[in-house]
Amino acid sequence: MKSVKVVVAGGFGTGKTTLVGAVSEISPLTTEEVLTQASVGVDDLAGVKDKTTTTVAVDFGRITVNNDIVLYLFGTPGQDRFWFMWDELAQGAIGAIVLVDTRRLEASFAAIDYFERRGIPFVAAINMFFGERLYTDEEIRAALKLSPDAPLVWCDARDRGSSKQALISLIRYAMAQLPAQAPSHG
Amino acid sequence: MIHDAWYGDDDGSAGRFVPLYVLVNGRSSPRNARLDLATQVIALNGETQGLEAEYQAIVRRCRTWISVAEIAAHLHYPLTPTKLLVDVLLEQGFLAVGSPAEATVADLGMLEAILVRLQEL
Repeated sequence: MKSVKVVVAGGFGTGKTTLVGAVSEISPLTTEEVLTQASVGVDDLAGVKDKTTTTVAVDFGRITVNNDIVLYLFGTPGQDRFWFMWDELAQGAIGAIVLVDTRRLEASFAAIDYFERRGIPFVAAINMFFGERLYTDEEIRAALKLSPDAPLVWCDARDRGSSKQALISLIRYAMAQLPAQAPSHG
Repeated sequence: MIHDAWYGDDDGSAGRFVPLYVLVNGRSSPRNARLDLATQVIALNGETQGLEAEYQAIVRRCRTWISVAEIAAHLHYPLTPTKLLVDVLLEQGFLAVGSPAEATVADLGMLEAILVRLQEL
């Protein structure tokens, strides 16, 4: 039995849980990590100084591929400061969907930067829920500083078919990246 | 809702006030390096009656393959303690483990299988 991970990232309120829920075969589940006092100092906990613990929630869904493979979709925590959680989610992931709200492009910069630096394949998915196509692909690519080969898709995170297409673009992109990967044995 | 490291008011463990970290003897990271939040586990046949309620609850959840993250979500345990409890159960032979999520072993065949499944959605 093999697990496969896809990370759904993007800034706060870009529709991550909505997208996970749109394609998951189960209602999205929430798992929580408790950050204790011991972590204070390594994590930026500005504004929560009176708390000895803080809870980081991760929403996720699943798609059973076949008898051997289960695909999990993990939404990153809303607050970008919980990087330790991102590392856990991204570890071994096939790739990521970075949701983008065109009214707040900057909310997704951190996610794009994160996956680019680690060489994790990702697609930028513009969530059309937030409005019309006010910009061209080229304008958005330039604003997000996307590399020319990184896929850019438009989707409505509330819609299964649309969210599914974003996921399909990611898998195709990950497939295209395969030959370029270092051989896993030797 | 999740409480925190102090856990004691789920059904089956009502009235218990044992921090989950005590149940794992202070273990702070899993010994099984394959254990990831998406790793699947399944219960093996074994007498679980002598186990603490939290361990029994996990084994009961594992009648079919299930991931560490799902166990944590269903039982309302925080993620890291869940991983550690599962780690102990694996070590003691109550659970068996599947492959961890690993992009480096993702082969074309597997990605194709995923693609086919997604297209059916």
